[in-house]
Amino acid sequence: MTEATDKQWEELIAHGQLVEKQHLADFFAEDSERFNKMHRQFGPLMYDFSKQRMTAQTLRHLIDLADAHDLQGWIDRLFSGEEVNCTEGRAAMHWALRLPADAKCQVGEDNVTAQVHGQLQQMERIVDQIHAGQWRGATGEVITDVINIGVGGSDLGPLMVTEALNDFTCPTKHRLNVHFASTIDGSQLSQLLRDKKPQSTLFVISSKSFTTIDTLTNAATALQWLQRSFGKRASSSILHCHFIGVSASPHKMTEWGITEKNQLDFWGWVGGRYSLWSAIGLPIALKIGMHGFRRLLAGAHDMDEHFKATPWEDNLPVLMGMIGVWNTNILDINALSILPYDGRLKQLPLYLEQLEMESNGKSITRDGEPVGRSTCPIIWGDVGPNAQHAFYQLLHQGTEAVTCDFIVPVRRYHEAQHHESAGELAAQHQLSLANCLAQSRLLALGDAALKNAEEMPLYMRYRGNQSSSTVLLDELNPYTLGALIALYEHKVFVQSVIWGINPFDQWGVEMGKKLAMSTLAKIRGEDSSLDDTDVSTAGLLRRIKAEWKS
Amino acid sequence: MYIDVYGDTLCALVSAAGLASSGHNVSLHVPEGPAATTLANGGCPYREPGLDELVTEQTIAGRFKLAADGAPPDERAAIIWLALSPTDIDLAFEIIGKLPTESGRSWVVVNQSTFPVGTTEALERALGELPGSESTQRVAASLPDLLIEGAAVKSFTAANHWLLGCDSPWGKRMVAEALRPYNRRRDNIMMMRPREAEFTKLAITGMLATRLSFMNDMANLADMLDVDIERVRQGVGKDPRIGDSYLYPGCGFGGLSFSQDVMNLASTLKHSGIQAQLLDQVLRINERQKESLFRKLWRYYSTDLQGKKVAIWGVAFKPESARIDNAPALKLIEALWAQGVQVHVHDPRALPALAEWAGDRRDLVLHKDPYAALVDVDALMLVTEWDAYMSPDLSHMKATMKQPLLLDGRNIWDPDFMKQNGFEYFGIGRR
Repeated sequence: MTEATDKQWEELIAHGQLVEKQHLADFFAEDSERFNKMHRQFGPLMYDFSKQRMTAQTLRHLIDLADAHDLQGWIDRLFSGEEVNCTEGRAAMHWALRLPADAKCQVGEDNVTAQVHGQLQQMERIVDQIHAGQWRGATGEVITDVINIGVGGSDLGPLMVTEALNDFTCPTKHRLNVHFASTIDGSQLSQLLRDKKPQSTLFVISSKSFTTIDTLTNAATALQWLQRSFGKRASSSILHCHFIGVSASPHKMTEWGITEKNQLDFWGWVGGRYSLWSAIGLPIALKIGMHGFRRLLAGAHDMDEHFKATPWEDNLPVLMGMIGVWNTNILDINALSILPYDGRLKQLPLYLEQLEMESNGKSITRDGEPVGRSTCPIIWGDVGPNAQHAFYQLLHQGTEAVTCDFIVPVRRYHEAQHHESAGELAAQHQLSLANCLAQSRLLALGDAALKNAEEMPLYMRYRGNQSSSTVLLDELNPYTLGALIALYEHKVFVQSVIWGINPFDQWGVEMGKKLAMSTLAKIRGEDSSLDDTDVSTAGLLRRIKAEWKS
Repeated sequence: MYIDVYGDTLCALVSAAGLASSGHNVSLHVPEGPAATTLANGGCPYREPGLDELVTEQTIAGRFKLAADGAPPDERAAIIWLALSPTDIDLAFEIIGKLPTESGRSWVVVNQSTFPVGTTEALERALGELPGSESTQRVAASLPDLLIEGAAVKSFTAANHWLLGCDSPWGKRMVAEALRPYNRRRDNIMMMRPREAEFTKLAITGMLATRLSFMNDMANLADMLDVDIERVRQGVGKDPRIGDSYLYPGCGFGGLSFSQDVMNLASTLKHSGIQAQLLDQVLRINERQKESLFRKLWRYYSTDLQGKKVAIWGVAFKPESARIDNAPALKLIEALWAQGVQVHVHDPRALPALAEWAGDRRDLVLHKDPYAALVDVDALMLVTEWDAYMSPDLSHMKATMKQPLLLDGRNIWDPDFMKQNGFEYFGIGRR
């Protein structure tokens, strides 16, 4: 903390003490121009923050705070390939994955654009072959099912995007289905293996390090399933025909047995939760084709350029990030709910949980000191209309302050494949839009949104003053989704700058994996001592071991 | 009677020549294409016993003549006979649209083409839209093509039976009169509605396709169980309830009449979501069967074909044809290309069609001499059973090929004899 930042924080806190006394309904009553002043448009995205508990003055304070924290300097460092991931000593260049082919990007010795587009071509070769029905299994059958085995960033991003863009499925010569298996216990994999044919199933093993135990154990199960069907002698054919590897560690892939021409590489400077833009996005490209995948990249790239070059007051990621800081640090709102009003975005809350909480769920600054303020809030969510029947009760009448992000496309169901029932479905989407606007309005205004509310008993009344932002997409397509995801990525970066933390490492998830290995030895009886654990763990282990013995 | 026949199919030529042989005056209108060229030069585009002679004979007699391109029907004609290719459905409507309608001419359109069920009725509606229809007879009748290849002329002039689909008494009389010379011993015209006649043709084709796909399914099992499908085929065919036709296993059937389009019933049915489930499966099995030789090669070379050379003998969808519509060889060639294989092809007649389909490619070489296609190849695939391939010069073959590997897609060679001559042999359901 410098004197300049201290000063800005003090001013912001003092300002906050005035603002937090006011109810959102009062802000709206006072200023009929509030929406006009407090929304921004970038391309097909509209960001409306007029239902946030803030004023125009707040925005000026937040901008000053961003400047005091040298946000511009950090953006420059991010986009010049500096080692912004200080604890792991590397750059974070997910933005480079979406550079157009003619962009110049030289980092040290490396022509990064050329590397990136080289891998895109490699990906295209594989995608084309599968789409043409010419990727063959060991017996020569056409591959019709692709199972992506990966976890964390190698699962959540591709899964979220393939589900979201299902309407943009690329036509292929033979039917092609893309599936995901992630959990270490094999739950999804066992289900899939039950009804897939080994002859026509291809596995994509995705792991940045290619050492992730969850992924490798699922991969081993897949390999054994194929070997049972084809016989062990066919091992080289199985590896040749049924496995693609995606990793930043080619030699680990080779060690596992992935054929060299079936390897897709990416680089250390791509963080796992930022990797859907790399070859990790192979399932996305299989679903929507390379053309669709490139549109996704283009949407994200345009957001990158917007983030780099737009003044803070019109800069979507900066506004979103700084409003988050305001909610967390000044208004003490420690929960953010992600509420897409579009069933195709069902996985988006899960995706953003990882992106935000794994990035900014930290309490040690870049200088190695404990942080002085709260960092990342708790994030959760679900498809809005379904969540209305679940946790909205707490949002409306609970005791916790929660801020919400409403995300909804304006247009839907005008694509050709919905032609026949387009009318009915469009009416359904209108209903969804209506619910979205009604909920954010009621959350903000409370009783003020209703007629004669004061005549109602207390348990039927609405406190209101729950803040929210709304992101309106013209429509959900590869381009807008790319821009939306990049918006959240950069929002996370903005907040990390203000909080002084490194958003690109995840040391908090390391030790648990190691402890699990020593615990496994105890469960399997390879290590019989239980005294070196705690009494709770020892008690649980005794119960488990008793069951496994019988 | 004066009859104008339209089409370049075998059926068109047989019907035209057959009708002429019993005294009708026939004008044959042939759409532009290789068949038209051959006929214009005095040749016969189809090899069928007796057909060439019949055409020549009737031409000399003056009852069979080729109509000029775009010429209207003979002014004395009342019968328009359509024997078009299954893909030429638009042409059928075009022909009807151009029929002369002056002085209240009546027309009966006899449709022998294999179009989706309901097309003949649609043709009749088109006829009804012509000027002057209120005061004249304008009728379409379905008379499905039931020719048996190899005995095509005989199956017209001495037909076992005819299926005539027609709703109009006048139309029935007209067609029956045209067919009277071939219908003398007993009445062998079965009357039904147009869509019933069309559907019967579809059911016949579907049943034949089902037998083939069934045998291919059996052949694939035979491969696994070390059973020789040839002996099985003969045993099954001896059963009088089954009979021995259309039981030959092979690497899939092609041609237009077996295509998905033809097998689709009227488009109204398609939209209602009703499908012929078995037929759908039959065609699916067939598409898969077309790649059976590829799968054998793929496994033989342990899933790595990069840089290999493979010869294909026969790409026409059946012997004696220059056409490659839905031919199994096309799927094979695409599969081989995708694995980096250079393909060398010989076919007595279908090379021009193949060259047009493939365009200019470095991984496709066409050969006029079957043995030239074998130079340094890693395998030979026999795909179309032309007579000339039945007893090839084995020592020449063996000396020419790099790897003496034979993949016989039509089971025309004897496995043991080939092995004695130093070849590795894989057939369909036998080795």
